[in-house]
Amino acid sequence: MVVIGLEIHAQLKTGQKIFCECPTNYREEEANENICPVCTGQPGSKPMALNQKALGSVIKIALALQCELKRDILIQRKHYFYPDLPSGYQRTSKPIGINGKLGNVRIREVHIEEDPGRYELRKGTVDYNRSGIPLIEIVTEPDIKSPEEARQFLEELNAILGYLDVGRDEPGSSRIDANLSIDGGTRVEVKNINSFKGVYTALMYEKVRQQNMLRRGAEVIMETRHFDEVSGTTVGLRKKETEEDYRYFPDPDIPPVLVTKEMIEGVKKEIPELPRQKSDRFVSDYRIKPDDAWILVSEIELANLFESMSKELKGKEQAIASWIRGPLKKQLNYRDLTFKSSGLIKNDSVLLFKEFSSGFITDDGMEKALIEMLDKKIGYSDVRLTLNLGKINDSLELEGIVDEIIAKNPKPVEDYKVGNEKSLNFLVGQVVKETEGRADSKAVKEIIIKKIKAKN
Amino acid sequence: MAANFDIEKRLEQIIANIKKADPEVKAFIDVFDVDAKARAKEVKEKIKEGKGGKLAGMLIAIKNNIAIKGKRMTCSSKMLDTYYAPYNATVIEKLEMEDAVIIGTTNLDEFACGSDTTHSAMHWTRNPRDVSRVPGGSSGGSAAAVAADMCDAALGSDTGGSIRCPSAFCGVVGFKPTYGAVSRYGLGDMAMSLDQIGPIAQDVETAERVFDVIKGKDKKDPVTAVYEEKENDVKVVGIPKEFFEGVDPKIAKVTKNVIQKLEKEYEIVEVSLPSLKYAIPTYYLLMFAEFSSAMQKYDGLRYGSVADRTKELYQAFEEVRGHSLGKEVKRRILLGTYITMKEFKESWYTQTLKARKLIQNEFKSVLEQCDILAGPAMPVLPWKFGEKMDPVEMYSADILTVSANLVGLPAGVVPVGDISGLPASVQIHGRHFEDKSVFEIMRKLEE
Repeated sequence: MVVIGLEIHAQLKTGQKIFCECPTNYREEEANENICPVCTGQPGSKPMALNQKALGSVIKIALALQCELKRDILIQRKHYFYPDLPSGYQRTSKPIGINGKLGNVRIREVHIEEDPGRYELRKGTVDYNRSGIPLIEIVTEPDIKSPEEARQFLEELNAILGYLDVGRDEPGSSRIDANLSIDGGTRVEVKNINSFKGVYTALMYEKVRQQNMLRRGAEVIMETRHFDEVSGTTVGLRKKETEEDYRYFPDPDIPPVLVTKEMIEGVKKEIPELPRQKSDRFVSDYRIKPDDAWILVSEIELANLFESMSKELKGKEQAIASWIRGPLKKQLNYRDLTFKSSGLIKNDSVLLFKEFSSGFITDDGMEKALIEMLDKKIGYSDVRLTLNLGKINDSLELEGIVDEIIAKNPKPVEDYKVGNEKSLNFLVGQVVKETEGRADSKAVKEIIIKKIKAKN
Repeated sequence: MAANFDIEKRLEQIIANIKKADPEVKAFIDVFDVDAKARAKEVKEKIKEGKGGKLAGMLIAIKNNIAIKGKRMTCSSKMLDTYYAPYNATVIEKLEMEDAVIIGTTNLDEFACGSDTTHSAMHWTRNPRDVSRVPGGSSGGSAAAVAADMCDAALGSDTGGSIRCPSAFCGVVGFKPTYGAVSRYGLGDMAMSLDQIGPIAQDVETAERVFDVIKGKDKKDPVTAVYEEKENDVKVVGIPKEFFEGVDPKIAKVTKNVIQKLEKEYEIVEVSLPSLKYAIPTYYLLMFAEFSSAMQKYDGLRYGSVADRTKELYQAFEEVRGHSLGKEVKRRILLGTYITMKEFKESWYTQTLKARKLIQNEFKSVLEQCDILAGPAMPVLPWKFGEKMDPVEMYSADILTVSANLVGLPAGVVPVGDISGLPASVQIHGRHFEDKSVFEIMRKLEE
């Protein structure tokens, strides 16, 4: 049996850093532009009070993960030496929420901490723009049973962060440490996985690696491994002779923060309906398939799209859900986009869906339009101007094209006659291609069958 | 400010005093005579126009562990001897806002670790009252500069007596404000839960004027968030009998006599602080722990001599720290690291916090019986150079001063007598944020 635990570090969306007033848009700035004496740890500098927005976000997440809240927030110092750490210690809070739950996975604790700078090992330089970006760390119990479950857990967690509007969207905003052990083996930790997707790859690799070792009778040693994103493998780090001792103690510069009841109540009000609740509601209110509902709620913007389309086009709920989950999601995933980042808007989606579902355009035409809209970042009306999408409803026109294709392809026609169904599909494909997707494949198929039979 | 006061003339006089006395006393690390002259000229104009600030024309020396933008902030360590602060401490902003003129930076024990300024990596500072003796520490340079009339006032920092010890040794007035009354932003860390910046001056009035300018909440130092000045009508002065135990009998006699004279205006009661015997170990263990954390940033990559990049990371750290830090600093880092290690934390650091709580509670309850505590400032007279080489012996001289830091109370020292040419001083403790009451009694003693 496989046992997996995760530690997720996610950057929080705030205007200012956690202990100073420097801006957080570090990706847009030149190296070491967003810095001050505080986030570079200059001699004599002191941290300012804990960023209240960041604290509010952590409480929000803790509540969404059904944690018990701690009322005293104590900032500690975690001591270690590394070039990206300007003070030689990282400020990290004691748990803010404990004993939470997401699905079947128990959440051990969540807390807040500061991001260190970025050390470029090859150049030997450090960029402190990132130093002091607020992070949440979410620690699960080892309740996850497979890399696939880990992926699902992270997808839901990611959806929640999106719903709460607390996380940063840029790539690299999340870093995950995952640990995995197999019955008869030892716990191995994989550090610094930089994306949710990477977690699945790293865990699959690690699972197979450990299974192979155990099968060979080799011993899996307790160690920390590094995930190599490019090769999708994990590499053992140099073993430490002793366990690292961070000498945690309360940061004397920051008086403990008391979380008031009012603050908690205020945060509670800001928590929207979460993915699981929304999915259940979609199933009962719109009578759509649970599987489809679960995909729709994975991104709040997608869920909102479904809901507003369903309100506009009553009776078409399942068709809308299938369309979003199917062709739309396929094109988004292919481009690694979310609905939000795709730039698509609801009105265009409604227009496109209406034309498609009313049979004015074909499946192929609809996909072609989507591709055009996503790749050129244009609206549906512009697509209509440049592409001829209207379905060919004129059966005479269609029959003419079918005759042409039959005449050009005597061999597939013969093959079909002797019972080769694949040849029929080939012929249909040729017609659709000839019409640039404007022919409805079902109708084409019928005509071809009819024509070939008539020739007999 | 007197109408005929001429700041430029006063500056000339101070610079002349520095030229004359400082080659021997060596209170200063850097003297900003050019900057000070330019600034004095501006301030003179402002005074003339009647726009001078509250400290217009006051010439102030700054302990060199306080950040002044563009100036060296050495903390008297090789680690920082070429470090130029890129920003101003909040106290510097406040002093300049009120037209004080900064005359220079003063010597200290390296990173404020010491009680006699002989642990400076720069040079020794001598006591102007007797140059064969130490000036006290760690703000020895600031106290000596005031005592030798090389400035009108100075800022020091006090973690366990670092303002009060040298002020007492040099025979000047020194004041450690309530923890949280003065922003620590820009003060080099020693032990963050104990550190406070405060004034040193020739008289109580000047010290109080400086305090009034530098005090107050500062968003850059969250421990000032609770600051709230409290007024109290002082009626009862308490004399803890433990303050006189183990004190040089001559100091005990002089100070007791002076304190007794307060009975004309105040009720005097004897009180007891039995846990004072735990004050030294509690203070030192806590300070070691916090100091070792504060020193983590001096890893050899950012400050000090340049690390040898061809070497393995930790080895490079070790080398730079090895030759850029002094013996006393290393001792404290090692001890502090030891007592905060997982293995020993429970038996040392956690116990220390408990002892601190005990001492805090005891002071709190004693300060319910009286408004003010009075006693001698230092248990010994300033020692001669080379006399106290044993660290434990040096640590024990802090017995009367460390409690104010452990509890966070305001405490000031004022010279009250003379023992064979050396000053004897009284120390006054007040309640949290009743700094003004401490000044009131200090003024009475000064008379």
